[in-house]
Amino acid sequence: MQPLMDFVAGPLFRLTFAIMLLGLLRIVVLTVWGVIQARRQTDDKVMPWKLITENTLGWLVPVLRLWKTRPIYSVVSFVFHIGLILVPIFLIGHIQLIRESIGIGWPVLSDNLADILTIVTMVTAVALFLGRLFSKEARFISRPQDYVWPVLLAIPFATGYVCNNMAIGAGVYQWTMLFHMLSAELIFVFIPFTKIAHCVLVPFSQMVSTLGWKFPPRSGEGVAETLGKKEMPV
Amino acid sequence: MIKPITEEERQHAFKTQRKPEVLEKQKLDVRYHIEDPVVDGRAQKFLEAFAAILKNTNYGFVLDQYVRSSAKCSRCATECQVYQATRDPKDIPCYRSELLLSVYRRHFTVGGMLRGRVLGSKGLTDEKVNEMAESFWNCTACRRCTLQCPVGIDHGLVTHLGRYILSEIGIAPRALVISTREQLEGKTGNTSAIPVPALLDTLEFLEEDMEEEKGVKIKFPIDQEDCEYVFFPAVSDFLMEADTLMGNAAVFTATGGSWTIGTGYFDGINYGLFYSDRMLDRIVKKVVEETRRLKGRKILIGECGHASRSAKYFVPVFCGGKDAPPVVNCMEYLYDMLKEGKIKLDPNVITDPVTYHDPCNIARQGWIIDKPREILKSFCKSYVEMTPSGKNNICCGGGGGTVSIDEIRPYRTTIGGKAKAEQIRKTGAKYVVAPCANCKKQLRELMEDQGMDDVEIVGLHDLVYKAIIFDESLKVKKEEKEEETPEAVEKEVE
Ligand code: SF4
Ligand code: SF4
Repeated sequence: MQPLMDFVAGPLFRLTFAIMLLGLLRIVVLTVWGVIQARRQTDDKVMPWKLITENTLGWLVPVLRLWKTRPIYSVVSFVFHIGLILVPIFLIGHIQLIRESIGIGWPVLSDNLADILTIVTMVTAVALFLGRLFSKEARFISRPQDYVWPVLLAIPFATGYVCNNMAIGAGVYQWTMLFHMLSAELIFVFIPFTKIAHCVLVPFSQMVSTLGWKFPPRSGEGVAETLGKKEMPV
Repeated sequence: MIKPITEEERQHAFKTQRKPEVLEKQKLDVRYHIEDPVVDGRAQKFLEAFAAILKNTNYGFVLDQYVRSSAKCSRCATECQVYQATRDPKDIPCYRSELLLSVYRRHFTVGGMLRGRVLGSKGLTDEKVNEMAESFWNCTACRRCTLQCPVGIDHGLVTHLGRYILSEIGIAPRALVISTREQLEGKTGNTSAIPVPALLDTLEFLEEDMEEEKGVKIKFPIDQEDCEYVFFPAVSDFLMEADTLMGNAAVFTATGGSWTIGTGYFDGINYGLFYSDRMLDRIVKKVVEETRRLKGRKILIGECGHASRSAKYFVPVFCGGKDAPPVVNCMEYLYDMLKEGKIKLDPNVITDPVTYHDPCNIARQGWIIDKPREILKSFCKSYVEMTPSGKNNICCGGGGGTVSIDEIRPYRTTIGGKAKAEQIRKTGAKYVVAPCANCKKQLRELMEDQGMDDVEIVGLHDLVYKAIIFDESLKVKKEEKEEETPEAVEKEVE
């Protein structure tokens, strides 16, 4: 058992984490490159920065934007995201591990707060899953990954909570911990290749959509030429 | 939120007017007329057109962003007036966009192509193309849903692109194509096919009318060089919205503004915005060319949402960025003049309740929202606001060019405009001010079909024309006037 644990906590962790980082980095680089290209190609360089910033920042606190149309959903998904981001990054157990391995650390969440956030994240994950399942609209547009994600994301939270708070035997603890790590690693691997990529793309989204309307000046002629329609009437 | 339509209304809205033979021949069951669509191998041709567009534009990187981040949260569903009326899940904005995004993913991304090969999926089929041909014209491209998408997907842009690709394989509403053809290649060079002599006659007639009504010589200056503004209204206004144009002329006369209408080109309409970037490009160039011919300094657009947006946002795109002439909407000019105190409006003329409808193409990106309201409040006795309004307004239901497609009127007035009709009903207003030729046509038809005949749809300048007070110095002197009465002329002849 121990060698397996060591492998999962060591090389496998590093590998999957690297896949996630590199994968996300790739997306960011491609997006930034796309933005630069689009900006370079268009003649209209004026960007409505104020509007873009407003909209981008506005979505950091979506509750403000959505409580009118979908109050419950907006609060639930907001809280879910908070827990999802804060707990793994600021959990004392995680920070200790990081400090041991690379020697740096940062302030941590108090145990109580971390526990509460963990529970809240699990509950909201289940709520989002059920919400999707029972909403006619959401069901119609959902792909398999949309159902899998809330469940998958809740697993490391549940297993972590069990390990931290429950009096369980050493054997069970080990298995649960293994499960905890494996599920997290699975998540790492999938993040860059699924919709969770929005975690790095959202800051660019308003800018990209704005630039989307700024066509390259000779694009129309180019299309006509490629399609052999240059001299064709309207 | 509005109540969904009843089964009866659904039948009415989707009733097709085309003959079965036509449908059979074009092999496409859409509610609009098309001309010579490509029938064989549509899917293949669609992909070719898509590839050509991706090659020459930047759409690819936008689609990459959307494909990667679409969260399928279904939030946008609450915002779309079409979906709210039909409650057909195929009208959920994210579903509509996915039609095109899935084609992009499958045929133009490495991952999608690999997956397609491994899973042995066929890829794009003719049926899918048909579904897009229907779906992208159900959407009015109003972009209200975009404001609500947390990951920033602009469904208006996806619809826009979808229609562009379809038009390259011959699938586009005939109403739009014919008008654009006349505008770019026809003898008259404008979408309403108005010849210059007829235009001049109309304007002269309006000038006479105005002098009679206001006692002031109000002119439409023609082909004058070196003016501050060259004026491009939606050309249909010359036929259908005389009051708005008279308002424009009155405002310029009262303020001594320098403006002109060019006989070389005088049409603000740009259906390219609705179905083809290629046409959009060619049409804005005509506007700029005429402005330069007359050595005008700025482009002035009349009361028209899409004309304003296509000039404001696409003149810089296609005609040289910063070097292109600036674009001003006539409401902006009016507002400035009011603030400078150059316009006086009589507060006792418009006493019935007035409300203001934001044209999507003017308000959605936050361009002109408060100015017309301030103008109205300055002289209307009772102004009522619609909710929601401004950036978050609800589309009239005829946006994105659909208003010009007469064969889908039942669809527009039962489905597209349902939310708007209820909104207007709630305000209890007598006048709905809609500073847009498209919105006006749609709202009038909507009011008629929804049995709201006592509501009057007007332009902002229509009301201004009614209330404007001219300086005494501008008034035609009594004697001068007498000379021009028919009797006086007759006497002279004798
Ligand atoms: S709001 Fe955006 S992410 Fe959510 S379903 Fe609509 S388009 Fe998709
Ligand atoms: S652009 Fe307007 S009509 Fe089209 S999907 Fe969005 S809200 Fe609906």
